[in-house]
Amino acid sequence: MSFREKSAWISMLSMSGIYGFYFWSVVHAGPKAGGFHFGSLLETIIALVVLQIVLTIAVAIFTPREAKAPRDERDKLIELRAMRVAYAGLATSVALACFFGAFDPPIVFNTNSLLFILVTAEIMRSACQIIQYRRGA
Amino acid sequence: MGRIRNEIRRLRFEHGEMTQQELAEKIKVTRQTVNAIEQGKYSPSLEAAFRISAVFGRPLESVFHYFQDE
Repeated sequence: MSFREKSAWISMLSMSGIYGFYFWSVVHAGPKAGGFHFGSLLETIIALVVLQIVLTIAVAIFTPREAKAPRDERDKLIELRAMRVAYAGLATSVALACFFGAFDPPIVFNTNSLLFILVTAEIMRSACQIIQYRRGA
Repeated sequence: MGRIRNEIRRLRFEHGEMTQQELAEKIKVTRQTVNAIEQGKYSPSLEAAFRISAVFGRPLESVFHYFQDE
């Protein structure tokens, strides 16, 4: 497994776990919890960044030669394909969010919906990269 | 659509049992990319194909073969 594939796994699993917990908290807090919690979002982002840095450093320590190697043409192609899929998902989801936004939902719903769309697109990007690495290209 | 096959595996062994990692370093890609090219899962860019041919000192068409599907 290449360093880039390991990075994609780290990105997908850490985002799924940490943002999964954040959205689970938002859903369980319910609409009476007082709206959008910037503090808990900030904690989530910090936790995600710290976890990703720690895991990436750990992987780089065990495979230093691969970690130092720059992205090659196959890595770039895989990244572009994954970006295309994630962008299609992002654009479709934002269009749907705009449509439902016309029905005047509470602001907390809009903000968290957009955050959910961004996170899902990022997870899709990592998942597409992993699938292509597993297939060979 | 067609398929591109190659003689990289055979040529590596004919060149002192060159490893995938050694070839990867010579053509500036990762070992995983060399493996994907060898298995026919990834078609390299024209530039990478020329670099591979140059490493083995063979013309491009003796390293890579194109087969047209019927």
